[in-house]
Amino acid sequence: MSLSILNLQGLYYDGHRPVGLPAILTVFGREATLSGAPSSRTYQSRQLYVSPRVGRADRFIALPDGGQFQCEDGPSLDRLPQESHSEGLVAWLEARAAVAIAAVAVIAAVLLAGYFYGLPVAAKSISARIPIETEIAVGEKALAWMDDNHLFKPTGLTKTAQDRIRDGFDTLRSGLPLEQYYRLEFRDAPAIGPNAFALPGAIIVITDDMVETAESTEEVLAVLAHEIGHVEHRHSMRHLLQDSLVATLITSVTSDAASLNVSVGGLPTLLAQTKYSRQFESEADGFAFKLLKRHNLSPAAFATFMERLAENRGHDGPFAFLSTHPATAERIEQAQAAAEQ
Amino acid sequence: MPWVCAECGEVNYEDSSLRCVCGQDVSYEDAIRFEDEPARSITRERQNLALEFRGSAREYFRIWIVNLCLTLLTVGIFSAWAKVRKKRYFYSNIVLEGTPFQYLGQPLPILKGRILAVALFAVYYATSHFFTSVLPYVLAAGTALAPWVIVSSAAFNARYSAYRNITFSFHGKYVDALKAFYPWALIPVFITGAILGWWNSEKMKILISVLIGLSFPWLVRQLKNFIVSHTYYGDRKGQFSAGGRQFAWVYFVSGWIVAGLAIIATVVVMFAFGTLRNSRYSLLVYGLLAYSGYVLAFAYSQANIGNLVWNNTLLGPLRFRSTLRSLEMAKLYLTNAVAIIASGGMLIPWAVIRTLKYRADNMNVVLEGSLEEFHGVEAVSVRATGAELGELFDVDLSL
Repeated sequence: MSLSILNLQGLYYDGHRPVGLPAILTVFGREATLSGAPSSRTYQSRQLYVSPRVGRADRFIALPDGGQFQCEDGPSLDRLPQESHSEGLVAWLEARAAVAIAAVAVIAAVLLAGYFYGLPVAAKSISARIPIETEIAVGEKALAWMDDNHLFKPTGLTKTAQDRIRDGFDTLRSGLPLEQYYRLEFRDAPAIGPNAFALPGAIIVITDDMVETAESTEEVLAVLAHEIGHVEHRHSMRHLLQDSLVATLITSVTSDAASLNVSVGGLPTLLAQTKYSRQFESEADGFAFKLLKRHNLSPAAFATFMERLAENRGHDGPFAFLSTHPATAERIEQAQAAAEQ
Repeated sequence: MPWVCAECGEVNYEDSSLRCVCGQDVSYEDAIRFEDEPARSITRERQNLALEFRGSAREYFRIWIVNLCLTLLTVGIFSAWAKVRKKRYFYSNIVLEGTPFQYLGQPLPILKGRILAVALFAVYYATSHFFTSVLPYVLAAGTALAPWVIVSSAAFNARYSAYRNITFSFHGKYVDALKAFYPWALIPVFITGAILGWWNSEKMKILISVLIGLSFPWLVRQLKNFIVSHTYYGDRKGQFSAGGRQFAWVYFVSGWIVAGLAIIATVVVMFAFGTLRNSRYSLLVYGLLAYSGYVLAFAYSQANIGNLVWNNTLLGPLRFRSTLRSLEMAKLYLTNAVAIIASGGMLIPWAVIRTLKYRADNMNVVLEGSLEEFHGVEAVSVRATGAELGELFDVDLSL
């Protein structure tokens, strides 16, 4: 408690009418006197509360009788009791340039670590604790929707062809942790072309076009091994979790961006999500190569099949970084490398 | 809206032509808005109040970056303190006639509200993705909850705002919200029906969806009216005089802006590339042109809805003139977006500040009478949960 006099010039508001009266607040030791307002008033210094500092804005001192005193900010105001000490601390941090610079570095580090390590690890451990049974309803609904809306039509493959593939599929899934949940569905999907999906709940769908582009059962099994990889690694659940968390994080950071929020947040979110997708695809590829070799099938079949599909479809363009799959050339290389090991 | 003729004192209800029944022509500036008040002097002193925004990007950057860092380090818990800090900065730098506004919010109620809001959101998320059979019940609960969210969100935001030692307050109740919004309670019913398959005909579904879409301007109008007409500064409450049709017109024009640019985009791409899906580049060009339509429409609606709301709001002796322009706002949004993306997010504070400055520069507060007409009233504490729920589900309730 210093003995120097504090003289503050400002405006007094009584709280009954929104009109300010010029006044002077004088603080001397334990007493504070307000002069200039209708009548002079005296208070105890410790009953005054100063609003937190924010930038260089004027501050308000709350008076015990319900009145308020507005004055310019200054270091002397720190000598009076503060309304909020925690906020005062934050204000102190905000005022320091060194803190701001450090904050930039810390934020960058946290975001990068979170994106490349934190989020994927969290998603992996959470999804491991969610039983696959919860996904089955979702997957069945998705399949039913595709069927009802004529995206999927009943398969045109012969029973013999289907059985041949099914036998190979059953061999592939034998011994795997999720063996009992797998369902293999054949569909004719001209609108989609050659493709295979792993729907939530271990439902794997392969289109007739895909089977017809293949020149051997081995090639079909290579694709199915890749889809099995997605299921065993619980990619659909992890994908959902990671995508949602990334979107939430980016939205919360850019939410006050006062611009085209959807676009500003949208582009980084899209980039981040497709990068995650490419990681999942690589993981599924790796699993597939190992699974094939365990059953004496060669990953080379995967490579040749990819090449043929790529030729039919045309090559990747300059927008590869927006793609959900790694560049085809890369995947072919990986497959050939795995075949040679 | 009704207005009083300065010449003969007659109250006129036809506002499309500003000519009084006594034959006097009046300009928009001179038309005095009519109020439900006992007889008072017709010629009143009009005074422009000085409103300025004193914030700067440099200052705000410090506040924004430090609070963001602490929020990330505490996995979001600090966000309640960060919100108080940021709001305090904005309020303290909006200065009306030499006095800044005040933000009185406290971090702990905000934190509790946010935790509850996250929990409720998790329930909604889980049911909508995994337990869809429970979804109708969740939607029903949400519908019952929505008026409460609106009411307590508005109440919280009002109670913790003050000017010259007099607080704002919100006196709307759950029942008032029900009365204002009940027609739109049919929407969750429709969604539930769609999920459970009550409507087999696609045409019915499309028809109902279109009707719901068309009712949107009236919903916005009800919302703004509800907020304004139950908000008090001291003992005087707000009055709102814009009708649903005026909102509908703004959205109608916005829709045409989007459609118009989509058509232009199609024509340009057809002309330049021969077909729509020829190459990746044709899609890109189409995308950019169509997107600019979206940007313009968004800016148009923001500017015009903003003007519409403020120009039709009265608060005691205060009137407001908002002069936001669509093209200016479009330029603002675009340059903000480019700057933010180019700077990896570091220019977000700069974008926020310049947008606020534009809005403040285009807001005029006119005093017709005296500020002494406002009287301070005892304030009551309000729970923060409603406000936090409102923000989590992106329910923007402020003027």
